[in-house]
Amino acid sequence: MKAYEATLDVSKAFREIEEALVDESLQEGLRRASLNAQRKVMELLEKRPELKDLARMVKEAKQYTIDHIEDVIEQALRSLESVNANPYLARTLEEARSIIGGIVGSGKLVVMSKTMAGEEIGLREHLEALGNEVWETDLGQLLVQLEDGRPMHTIAPAVHMTREKAISLIRERLGEDLPLDASVEEAVHRVRLFLREKFTKADVGISGANALAADTGSIVLVENEGNIRLVTGLPPVHIAIVPVDKLMPTLQDAIRLALVQAAYAGLYPPTYLNIISGPSSTADIEIHRVYGAHGPRELHVILLDNGRIKASKHPVLREQLRCIRCGRCQFECPVWIHTANKWGGPVYGGPMGINWTAITLDEEYAGGLATLCLTCARCDEACPVEIPLSRLLRYLKRVYLSRSR
Amino acid sequence: MVLDVKQVASLVVDYMRRNGLPVPAPRDAIYGWAKPLNLPDRGRVLLYTGGLYQLMPYISSLVEQLSKLEKGAASRLALGIARSLGRFMDLSRIAVRPDKRRVEYSNRVLRSIAVMLRRAGVEYAYPYEDDLYSGVILYDLGLDDEFSQHAERVYRALKGRGGEVLITVDPHTTHMMRSVYPKFVDGYDFEVKTYLEVLAEGDFKPLRIREGELVIHDPCLYARFEGVIDQPRKLLGKAGFRVLEPRRARRMTYCCGGPIEGLAPSLSKKIAGTRLEELKGVGKRIVTLCPICYANLTAVADGDVEIDDIAVKLVESVEE
Repeated sequence: MKAYEATLDVSKAFREIEEALVDESLQEGLRRASLNAQRKVMELLEKRPELKDLARMVKEAKQYTIDHIEDVIEQALRSLESVNANPYLARTLEEARSIIGGIVGSGKLVVMSKTMAGEEIGLREHLEALGNEVWETDLGQLLVQLEDGRPMHTIAPAVHMTREKAISLIRERLGEDLPLDASVEEAVHRVRLFLREKFTKADVGISGANALAADTGSIVLVENEGNIRLVTGLPPVHIAIVPVDKLMPTLQDAIRLALVQAAYAGLYPPTYLNIISGPSSTADIEIHRVYGAHGPRELHVILLDNGRIKASKHPVLREQLRCIRCGRCQFECPVWIHTANKWGGPVYGGPMGINWTAITLDEEYAGGLATLCLTCARCDEACPVEIPLSRLLRYLKRVYLSRSR
Repeated sequence: MVLDVKQVASLVVDYMRRNGLPVPAPRDAIYGWAKPLNLPDRGRVLLYTGGLYQLMPYISSLVEQLSKLEKGAASRLALGIARSLGRFMDLSRIAVRPDKRRVEYSNRVLRSIAVMLRRAGVEYAYPYEDDLYSGVILYDLGLDDEFSQHAERVYRALKGRGGEVLITVDPHTTHMMRSVYPKFVDGYDFEVKTYLEVLAEGDFKPLRIREGELVIHDPCLYARFEGVIDQPRKLLGKAGFRVLEPRRARRMTYCCGGPIEGLAPSLSKKIAGTRLEELKGVGKRIVTLCPICYANLTAVADGDVEIDDIAVKLVESVEE
């Protein structure tokens, strides 16, 4: 079920959760993943206490963005123009889809790096419907695409799949003669070979962003697989979709955010940190600037509102806009550990996910889901930017109860 | 099966209208435990239980009845039953029969607390009929109007007993009286302490030293909202117990699943099972600090583990 076709049926979501509870391999996968993630982040924070200071700085910078969202958006649009990117502000998901659809057109080969904002607007399906061939390149997200499912965690989208399931998907859907008892290494290698060809032939690369610096127009992206460098570097056209809550006042703030996001996701130091300020260019011949050297010649940046600007004025929900999508609250939540993103809405899941569902989709529906929150506040404790997640969930619960009672 | 919270809410509101309790239980189920103790019934310092320990056996029984109703039908049908529960069911037909041993255990916890406070030289009264339910479930369900009216009643009743300081016995009631009531009741001025804080700050002198190891399960509200973390450890240490810490402890403690027991029993049990496994991995004797944790962890425990409330363990060291 995709965001734009969500039925917003709370009891249907509850039925899915019941099914998840008796799915033994899902339960086991989540148990292992969450324990590992919890341990990793805990050890990391003990070893590098300075990361907590960095997180505090990110919290303050994020708060500035929320308090001055319109100004920051204006500044970002100007900065993007100054680095020769093409900026757009999309108020709704339909608008975002139509802008991107217009840029891509049809009959193209498109490679995507994992973007939850893309999931939010149903981008892959939209581009496919326009007659494009679209491939996810993050391994987990590719598996989700092959499964025709939805990501089960913000940074580990295929956290619900066992190795056997992943290998059989690659076999069946990519037509690979991969043996069923292949190792994970072999499977990864096959995917690498398959996607390598797509990367080099792709007409368009689409990415999300961890942050966008309003003062410089720089997109910051953190990753480990290396697919983001290829998606944003090889095709002649790069489109980045950036929810407006990801705008940071300065480039330094944006880089700090990427480091904190990686750390609280348990992936520190990150393998790659990408900073993209405009399309690639060279002026090596007669100081004559030519766009499209080795990287893209065009960069389009779509700033996505979809409820966020309104939320920045909301007395309770505005705090969610500080979220840096590290997914730690998911791995620490006792309910999420048994339900994954089946609890949270069609795109986002867990404590932060329900709040995002409220902002980007529907408050009452999110409130119905929030009734399963224990209010144990473990997520509050886990959040690097100190979002009182459980208080927001309590608010949503109240919204749900007060309507049609 | 997941119940819709709106149905549970209307059920609770109906029960509360009858006699101020969120489940069908007689009023004296709350203060009956203290009758033989003949405590003064008014004073500046009041032992206020808020009824959670006493009500847990009734709540467990009600939840069990509701679960049975759900299981009796095919799942689709059950959803319909759940939907109509609040509106169409004759509530008096739900037979709530609390487990006698659980009732006795709750009373034992409360008597232990009363005894320990007395031994520590704390002068306090007990408001008997005015030991009203705190209304915590109304707050948790987001029923702010109902909660606010109820809180006002409780506040006035305790004031009427001369109260200025409340000694509380469980994390939920403590959180209500200390952190939530002030936001809902105008002029609220009670000083609120848990008996664990009172004993830890005061004169807790064991008559004999106990031995053995206990795994501590911190309740979420004590650990993350009320700063009650070191006090229980200090008291257990004084009593002679060695306290074992699970991996997820103190501010990062892990919920027992209790708060959604009534809405999603199977999910609640999964969470309790996950926590119990972790506690068992550290030791077979577990100590809880909250009646909901006690009930929820006990419900998934088998014979290889011993779960006790902290009061029951502590009192062993002061009894003559």
